[in-house]
Amino acid sequence: MTRPMRSAALRGLVVPVTLIATAEIAGRAAHLDSLTIALPSHIVVALAQALADGSLLQATAETLWAVLAGVALGTAFGLALGLALGLARPLDRLLAVLIELLRPIPTVALIPLVILVAGLGYLTEITIVAFGTMWPVFVISRSAILGVEPRLFEVADALGFSWPQRIQKFVLPSIAPRIFLAFRLAVGFALIIAVTVEITTNPLGLGNAMVVAQNALNPALTLAVLVWIGAIGWLFSRLLIIVERVAFPGMGSAVRS
Amino acid sequence: MRRVAWWLASLGVVALVIYAWHLLAAAAVISPVFLPSPQRVWTALSRGIQSGALTGYALQTVVHMFWGWFAASCAAILLGSIIGMSPTIQAYLQPSLEAMRPLPASATIPIFTLALGLNDGLVLTVIAFGAIWPTLLATIYGFESVDERHYEVAAALGMSKFDIVRKIALPSALPDILAGMRVSVTIALILTIVCEMIAGVGGLGQWILNAGRTFRADNLFAGILMLGLLGLISTNLIIGTERYMLRWKQA
Amino acid sequence: MIGYNKVSSVLARGAMRPVESPADRPSGGSRADPGADLLEFWRVDVELQGRPILSGIDLSIRKGEIVCVVGPSGSGKTTMLRTLSGFTPPTAGQVLFQGQEIRKPRRDIAIVFQDYGRALLPWRNAAKNVELAMEAANKPRAGRAAEIERLLTLMGLGGHADKYPAQMSGGMQQRLQIARCLAQTPSVILMDEPFGALDAMTRQTLQDEVLKLVAAMQTTVFFVTHDLEEAIYLADRVIALQPNPGRIARIFDVDLPSPRDQISTREHPAFLKLRRQLFDFVKGAEP
Repeated sequence: MTRPMRSAALRGLVVPVTLIATAEIAGRAAHLDSLTIALPSHIVVALAQALADGSLLQATAETLWAVLAGVALGTAFGLALGLALGLARPLDRLLAVLIELLRPIPTVALIPLVILVAGLGYLTEITIVAFGTMWPVFVISRSAILGVEPRLFEVADALGFSWPQRIQKFVLPSIAPRIFLAFRLAVGFALIIAVTVEITTNPLGLGNAMVVAQNALNPALTLAVLVWIGAIGWLFSRLLIIVERVAFPGMGSAVRS
Repeated sequence: MRRVAWWLASLGVVALVIYAWHLLAAAAVISPVFLPSPQRVWTALSRGIQSGALTGYALQTVVHMFWGWFAASCAAILLGSIIGMSPTIQAYLQPSLEAMRPLPASATIPIFTLALGLNDGLVLTVIAFGAIWPTLLATIYGFESVDERHYEVAAALGMSKFDIVRKIALPSALPDILAGMRVSVTIALILTIVCEMIAGVGGLGQWILNAGRTFRADNLFAGILMLGLLGLISTNLIIGTERYMLRWKQA
Repeated sequence: MIGYNKVSSVLARGAMRPVESPADRPSGGSRADPGADLLEFWRVDVELQGRPILSGIDLSIRKGEIVCVVGPSGSGKTTMLRTLSGFTPPTAGQVLFQGQEIRKPRRDIAIVFQDYGRALLPWRNAAKNVELAMEAANKPRAGRAAEIERLLTLMGLGGHADKYPAQMSGGMQQRLQIARCLAQTPSVILMDEPFGALDAMTRQTLQDEVLKLVAAMQTTVFFVTHDLEEAIYLADRVIALQPNPGRIARIFDVDLPSPRDQISTREHPAFLKLRRQLFDFVKGAEP
C-alpha cells in the first residue's frame, strides 16, 4: 500500500470511527437501556454470540443457497433470452412490446403470487431471485450483442463460419466482459432480493433472523445481523470486482456501476 | 412505416400470449386458484376500478412512493452538491457512502420498525433511505466532474460564487442527477411495495398480499397489473422530463 | 519595411524608464504616458509544479495592437496568455493592465479558448450563451435582447440565436464564443490558438473577421498560435518564444499594408521573407 492510498483510507475511516465512538460514549453516559437502539459495543457482542452459537452461520447458509441458486437460474435465463433476441433481430422486434410491458413489474410484486403457487420456502425465494436477476442480465447481454463491432460479423461471413462457430469464436469472446459485469450486478441484486423476500414473508435466512430479533425487541442483535448482511454484500462485490480485474484487465476501471 | 408494422406485429404477439393464457386457463391445466383466466382478471380489474377500492390502494402507493422519492431526491441533490464540490468533504465521506450503498434497503426495515413502529413515517423513512443512493452518488459524480474550462469561463466573466453553482455547476451535473433520479424511482416503487406488505399501511403492496392470502388470484393479478402500470408510467414520466430538460443534448 | 528587434532592443526600451522594483511601483497609479502601453510584462517568471515555464519575460503591448505569439510546444505560449488572463499568476515580476497588476480574471480582459466545445455551455442556446456575459456583469435586462441580436449578427450568426452549440459547426461555435467575449465589452481579447481546430477555409474567414473587429473597435489582441503564417497575417508584431525555460527569443515587426487580404498579403514579398525568417527561427529553436 502506497502512502497516498493509506492516507486516503485513513481519511475514509475518520467519519465512521468518530460516529461509532460518539454513539458509544453518549450511550454509556446516558445509561442507554433501549428497545430501539443499541450501543456499538453491544452490537459487536451480539454479533460474536450469534456467530459462536452457529445461528448466524446457519441463516447465512440459507440465504446464500437461495442467492446462488437464484443467480444461476436467473443468469442462465437472462443470458439465453439476451443471446436469442440480440442475435435474431426479427424475434427481438416481435417480442418488443411484450417485454416492455413485463419489465416494469417490480419483482417484489410477485412475492404473494409465487407463495400462492409454491408455498413458503426455498422454491419461492429462488424463483423470485431468479426472476429479479434475469432482467439485468437479459438487458446487458442483449445490448452487448447489439454493440458487437459489425465488422466482426463481416469477417465471420468472409471466413465462412457456421452460426455455432460464430457465436463461439466471435460473439461470446467480445461480449464476455459485459456478461461478467451483468453477473456481478446480478449477484448484488440477488442478495437484496433474497433478504427482502425473507423479511417480507419467507421464514428463512438472514432476513428472517432480523425479523425474529426485532420481534424479540433485541436491537443489538437486529443491528448485528444488518452489519453482517452489509459485510457479506461488501465481500461479494469486492471479490467479484477482483475476479473481473483479473479476468478482463483494462475493463474494470472503465465501468461505473 | 416499417417500424409501425413491426410494432403492430409485436402487439399481435401480446394478443397471442393473452389468447394462449385464455386457452391454458380454459383447459384448467393449471389450477384456477393459481392461474385465473384473463376474463376473470379483467373483471377484477374493472370491478376494483369502478368501486374505487383498487384505485384507492393505488393512490396510496403513489403517495408513498412519490413523497419518499421526493424527499430522497431533495436530500441527495443538496448533500451531493456539497460533497461533490468539496474535495475535502468528499475524501472523508465518499468511502462511508460507497460502503453503505450495497446494503439492502429492505434490511433496514426491522431497524426502523424498532425505532418508529409500523406507520407511514416508517414507510417514508425506508423509501427515502433506500432511494437516496443512486441520486446521491450520481449528484456527487456530476458536481465533481464539471468541466474545468466552464469554471475558467465563469472566472473570466467575473461570475459570483452563487451564480457559478446555479448557472454552471448545477446544469452541468443535471444529466447525472436526472439519471440517478430515474433509478431512484424504480427503487422507491419496490420499497413502497415491500413496506406496504409489512407495515399494513394500505397501498397495492397490502392489496396483493391480502389477495394472495385469501386465494383471490384474480385480485392478485389485477394488483400486479396495476403495479406494472405504475412502474411503466413513473419511469416514462421521468424519462420524458429528462428528454425535455436535456433537449440540448440531441443535436 | 520589415525588420526585427532583438530581445536587447526590448530590454533597452524597458530600460529607458527608471528601473523600479515591483514594491516601488505605485500599484493602481496611472502612468506618465497613458494610452501608450496597455499591457506590460515586467521581469515575469512563472514556475508550475516547481518547473520553470517562463523566465524573464519583458514585453509591452500598445492599445489596439495585435500581438501574435509563436514558438515550439513547451515554450510557454499558453502560460504567457494565462498570466494575462489572471489564471496563472507569475512567480516573480509583474503583469500589468493599464499599470495595474493583474491578480485575478477581470471582465475587461476576455479570453477565447481553442476548445470552443468545452468553453460554451452546451445547455444554453446561442443567445443564452452570449447573455451569460451580461448576466455576470449585471447588465440591465432591458437592453440585452437587442445587444445579443447585434453581436450575433456581427459574428454572422444572425438566424441562429435559438440553436444549441451541439447543433452548430465548429466554426459557428467559435464565432459564438467570440460573440460572448465581445459581450463583455473587453479592451483586451486573449486568443489561445482559437482557430487551431478549424478547417483551412473557416480559419481564413475568421482571421479576416478578427482583423475587421479590431479595426472597428480598437481592441487589443494577444493571439497565441502555432501557425506561423496566421501569426504574420494577423499581427502587428510576432513574438517568437524559445523553450526550456520559455523566454522571448525575437520580436518581429510586421510591416504589411492594411487592410490585409488573404491572397495579396500572403503573396507580398515582405510576407514571404518574414515567413522564411520565422520558419528558420522555429526550426533552429526546436529541441
